[in-house]
Amino acid sequence: MSNGIPLTEALARYRIDADLGPLPELTDIDALLNTYHPDHLRDSVVKLEVGANAGDNCQRELAGLLQAEAFIDEADLAGTPVTDIDVLVIGGGGAGCAAALAAAENGARVLLATKLRLGDSNTVMAEGGIQAAIEPDDSIQRHIQDTLSGGHHLGDPALVSALAGDGPEVLRWLIHQGMQFDQTPSGDLHTRRAGGMSTPRLVHCRDYTGLEMMRVLREAVIQHRSIEVWEQSPAVELLSNELGQKCVGAVLTSLLDGQLRIVRTRSVILATGGLGRLHLNGFPTSNHLGATGDGLVLAYRIGARLCELDSFQYHPTGLAHPSHLAGKLVTEGARAAGALLVNGLGRRFIDELQPRDVVCAAILRECSEGRGIRTDDQHVGVWLDTPRLERANPGILEQQFTSLMTRTHVAGIDPRREPLLVHPTLHYQNGGAVIDTNGATTVPGLYAVGEVAGGIHGRNRLMGNALLEIISFGRRAGVAATADRDRGPKKVTLEHVNHLRRALTLAGLPMTQRAPQVLPAYAAGGIWNR
Amino acid sequence: MTTSNTTATEGGQTPAVALTINGLAVNAHPGMSLVEAAWHGGVPQVTSVGCLEGVCGSCRVMLRRGKEVTVGLACQTFVEDNIEVVFMPPASAPQHHYEIGDFKDGWDMHARFHKIFPEASRCRHCHGCDKACPKGITVENGVALAAAGRYREAGEAFFECVMCELCDAACPELIAPAHVGLFSRRVTAHFHLRPPNLIHRLEELRQERIETCRDEDNKK
Repeated sequence: MSNGIPLTEALARYRIDADLGPLPELTDIDALLNTYHPDHLRDSVVKLEVGANAGDNCQRELAGLLQAEAFIDEADLAGTPVTDIDVLVIGGGGAGCAAALAAAENGARVLLATKLRLGDSNTVMAEGGIQAAIEPDDSIQRHIQDTLSGGHHLGDPALVSALAGDGPEVLRWLIHQGMQFDQTPSGDLHTRRAGGMSTPRLVHCRDYTGLEMMRVLREAVIQHRSIEVWEQSPAVELLSNELGQKCVGAVLTSLLDGQLRIVRTRSVILATGGLGRLHLNGFPTSNHLGATGDGLVLAYRIGARLCELDSFQYHPTGLAHPSHLAGKLVTEGARAAGALLVNGLGRRFIDELQPRDVVCAAILRECSEGRGIRTDDQHVGVWLDTPRLERANPGILEQQFTSLMTRTHVAGIDPRREPLLVHPTLHYQNGGAVIDTNGATTVPGLYAVGEVAGGIHGRNRLMGNALLEIISFGRRAGVAATADRDRGPKKVTLEHVNHLRRALTLAGLPMTQRAPQVLPAYAAGGIWNR
Repeated sequence: MTTSNTTATEGGQTPAVALTINGLAVNAHPGMSLVEAAWHGGVPQVTSVGCLEGVCGSCRVMLRRGKEVTVGLACQTFVEDNIEVVFMPPASAPQHHYEIGDFKDGWDMHARFHKIFPEASRCRHCHGCDKACPKGITVENGVALAAAGRYREAGEAFFECVMCELCDAACPELIAPAHVGLFSRRVTAHFHLRPPNLIHRLEELRQERIETCRDEDNKK
């Protein structure tokens, strides 16, 4: 990693009109992926030894957390204050808010607990848009086909068909809540076509779709009479019945005072999002601070089956410089508009519009073979040639990439004049908890929606399907969780934790690590160095 | 990556910028954001941080440079010598209540708005909200537009709002401008966004459902 061309030298050598050389032929995609894609790195995947997925492949650092010791045991529950509620939603992003609103609309009293502030989530950062088959020449069937083939045919067809079928109704519901979308002059919803779509299907609100969605849902939740919100309240454990086989509540803590609180409930909906902040394989991430995979850990410990635990989406163009934006995205739209990738020797090395995993592997190959560009603080990357894009299309960066311009402007970088240094960044967890079309996991009383759930995207997610998924499945789970009438908990226990402890001991695994992680170490009063 | 980074920056030169965060002295590297500086300096209890790119509105800080006091977002503000930084507590729950599902008709919106936000017409033009906004929104003007019933234009003025609610904190009349802006955007979509292509597809799907039900009844 230490070799590469120093940033200042590469900048001095950069010419907007330089000849970039011929594009090398891409001969063997499989070899490229197998050698350089992070999912295939040697030692990055292990077999799980205990739990519902014993014997399955899992990313190594995630496996450590799934097979870790809990934070609490029964002694900690004595004297802990108890709250009774119909439905508990854990997570305050788009999926959590949609689930809470659907449950409340159906008559449930809802408690929404979130680790940070309500709305702090990956939802708020989504720029692209939301997929829904609404154009005359599009159909629900085409949406299903595109989603399945995008996921290399490993998605669950029943879930995908539920997702695509909900699309138009989801848009109506969002508009009813007060969300705006871009329109054509005749008043139609404006659609774009993005990677993997056979026809334009991406509905959007400029490049702030996630922000517009999140602020509307956040306000709707805050204003709703039947929803109570607890902020700064991460879940540290779920609660089970005497047999350890049903989810009957959760134990929350407080980031402000550390006090534990027990919540007893008929149903728990996990909407905890992804795990970018675990920095798997040492990668930077585009995710928000709370994305530490807590929901996967809690679900696995209570016995839920998970899927695709070795498949993650690395976005090819995360910023590598300036360092405070390390890992933050430059939208795929920049490459779609014609921005080229150039290595430290001033050469193109890959067709920029190949699928994300291929472009990602090619960038990593350039970096590891010494053709990357190295900053003083040891970040490495390649150029995204934005000045050349601007020269060919004057004004394009200001008009179409407002969010990028605003962010780099703060750091004193002008992408119209100097190229951006980019490196792949950990973006999305393709798999997650196995669910049915109601968002129900394999554990009774436990639902999972949004990024924490798996099975929809196979091993690769298409742009715009995440925002659709959180609303579609969030609402499905909210309705189903409310209908679970007869699950009044008699006794709340940590029996499932005892089960896992026994299994860990029998397997001879160390119990030194505790999980869930809640916050990355560098934010929990530690040293910042990413 | 991490280890080499630590040695390069920690061992090479001493941090060059001295500031205080939540009352603690912190030495930071030039170019660090205030969030990074807080983590780097080990300042405890900094959990009002979210997206780190200026769209979630969580990391609200109060800043003092000499006698000048301002507010901003910590992930978008960079370290300076001698600046005093205080991370602000989360905003308290809003004082204005409405559920958009309760609105059956747009004709009485003006009356409803002033009932929900009675303070909105009492702006004293102090520009406190304009100065507080980290996104450069013309907040005061947006509130005036909403108070005049021009919700579409008011909502457009608040397009870049990230709901940090710093304008709410700045308002001596307790107007809650961020919520006025969001209200304006929401009623505009709720009552006026009726896209023909979406409505057409919804109707097609409804007809399909009716036919499927009929087929199933016939089978029985």
